[in-house]
Amino acid sequence: MKCAFCEHELTPEMLRDEGCGACIGGCRKIHCPYCGHENPVVSEFLDKLLKGGKDKG
Amino acid sequence: MQKQQRDEKKIILVGNPNVGKSVVFNTLTGSYTTVSNYPGTSVEVSRGQCQIADESFLVLDTPGMYSLLPITEEERVARRILLEESPYVVVHVIDARNLERMLPMTLQLIEAGLPVLLLVNIMDEAERVGMQIDISLLQEKLQIPVIGGALGRGKRGLWELRDAISDFQPRQTTFVYATDLEKDIQKISTLMQGDYILSKRCLTLMLLQRDEEIVQRVQDRENSQYAKVENAVNETVFARRVDLHLRISLERKRICKGLLAGVITQQEGERPVFADRFSNWTMNPWTGIPLLLLVLYFGIYQFVGVFGAGTIVDFLEGGIFEEYLNPWVIGWCEQYIPWYWLNELLVGEYGLFTLGVRYAVAIILPIVGTFFIAFAVIEDSGYFPRLAMLVDRVFKRIGLNGRAVIPMVLGFGCDTMATVVTRTLESTRERVIATLLLALAIPCSAQMGVILGLLSSVPGALMVWLVCMVGVFLLVGFLAAQVVPGERPMFYMEIPPMRLPQLQNVMVKTLTRMQWYFLEIFPLFMIASVLLWAGKLSGALEWLVEMFNPIMRLLGLPGEASTAFILGFFRRDFGAAGLYDLQTEGLLDPVQLTVAAVTLTLFVPCVAQFLVMQRERGWRTALIIFFVVTGLAFSVGWSLNQFLLMTGIL
Repeated sequence: MKCAFCEHELTPEMLRDEGCGACIGGCRKIHCPYCGHENPVVSEFLDKLLKGGKDKG
Repeated sequence: MQKQQRDEKKIILVGNPNVGKSVVFNTLTGSYTTVSNYPGTSVEVSRGQCQIADESFLVLDTPGMYSLLPITEEERVARRILLEESPYVVVHVIDARNLERMLPMTLQLIEAGLPVLLLVNIMDEAERVGMQIDISLLQEKLQIPVIGGALGRGKRGLWELRDAISDFQPRQTTFVYATDLEKDIQKISTLMQGDYILSKRCLTLMLLQRDEEIVQRVQDRENSQYAKVENAVNETVFARRVDLHLRISLERKRICKGLLAGVITQQEGERPVFADRFSNWTMNPWTGIPLLLLVLYFGIYQFVGVFGAGTIVDFLEGGIFEEYLNPWVIGWCEQYIPWYWLNELLVGEYGLFTLGVRYAVAIILPIVGTFFIAFAVIEDSGYFPRLAMLVDRVFKRIGLNGRAVIPMVLGFGCDTMATVVTRTLESTRERVIATLLLALAIPCSAQMGVILGLLSSVPGALMVWLVCMVGVFLLVGFLAAQVVPGERPMFYMEIPPMRLPQLQNVMVKTLTRMQWYFLEIFPLFMIASVLLWAGKLSGALEWLVEMFNPIMRLLGLPGEASTAFILGFFRRDFGAAGLYDLQTEGLLDPVQLTVAAVTLTLFVPCVAQFLVMQRERGWRTALIIFFVVTGLAFSVGWSLNQFLLMTGIL
């Protein structure tokens, strides 16, 4: 995944534990460590929904 | 085995992510590799063996890094490997298509005194877009071995790479910076007495850029001599505090430009010239401002304001909810629930369904949905970094610089999150000014959508609102820049290429953001409905509305408008939805609608934003901003009402 602002490569490990507290269940964005831009992380629920259960079983 | 590994010469592969380092690693090592976490970290490093000219080498594949000055854990590990593994050769792998962006790191590696071999990878793709790279000229200029290759396909360049490793002879090259910077480097580096793996020139530059790990290493190595080094560094940093990072980056860019002169030739006709030309237009004020206005008109006004807040909201709120859902739910509750208080809680004036669910689903969600689509399209096109360059000059006048574009554009999505993002700005001064401007003059998407939708039906009203917002933003920013003390950092950033947004990517981002937004607002809207219901039944709300009435009268607004302001304190979008109700009930004339829209947009930040302001900037600053914003909102609202009544322009 690349930052949509500066195009630096982002990894899921960069998903911060510390967010603004607004997201229920923890921060769901990667704040790019290079420019600070907020990049959304696709939730498991949405990921499954978009794949239409293709990876089941 | 471990002893054998220690005795082997080490080949360390470094480079940006996605330049083909792992392909080079696999090609060199074959299947004899191990992957393990680097000691003390969760970052994986691959190691493998390779035989070149009957000699055995240990090959290390490092995590992606953009510079020797690390920002992420991966970059820290990559640098630590360079510092601690005593490489025989460091193979810097770069993407041939992005030579200009990646060559500054080659310069850093050479400058660090490391034994560098440059591998210009992905040559096939570069040639496919018409680029010709003169590898031997680049080698001559850099004075290190340079190999051109495409190891991903057909292993082009593999044998040249193996030969270059086998015949490798380390060389020392120095690229000279501007005279004043050279003097600073000389002054500090001569004070260092210890032995280091990296050159003292490179260490000096990292000390000047406040690299904590390097500071610690130099401190440990210099002992009593360190105080002199520290003093010299502090003096230089103080003297050049405004533009030190920028100077170093620009000097490296200047050297790279000279190195690349004549190295790259672009075949005519095969170059995607329009993308480059368009990119330049977006950053030139003469063409960039009209393009910005087009983006705002079609992306925000037409798509979010007219389509999202108009067409979709009318359909959902006026059609589905008012005609079908509300009558059915209200009828059911009245028939089966005998208690007045419970009826009120569920389907009353501030009921969970009639207010909370309706606001969240029928008014706010379609607006933020269309906003997030527009945002994702603009974001994925690569327009935002260009916007940052375009507004840099204006932003400098208000105490910020182009970097502040990130929190500002994020503020249109949600001001609370954008306030958190202000921490990425370099100085405290910038953070305070950006926090103030976000609280004052940046409406969130839902608020902006409702206001655009409502005001577009009154000729001239939208222009008045826009002039007020831009005027207040610039004036308050300008005044704040005079009052708030602190440094004025320079702004510089690499501009990534422009891209064509991909439909699937835009939809995934939009749905992700909508899911997050809905999960966040829905419980808050429910809580706000319950509080308003309790306030109504206890009489506290009536008392609060009475308190607001004199202010509403001063603004020329009806008493009922108090509710929108009270709702606005819970959340900006909640207040905007309240304004929508006032307008659809026919309680506001054009002047009142415009005054209410301006005052509500400027009005106090919502509870969540205030709490984040307090956490990020402290109680004192948060309270000052709160009172300044409140005072300004009502002053501007009052002045606007007087002006509109006097001139009769609406």
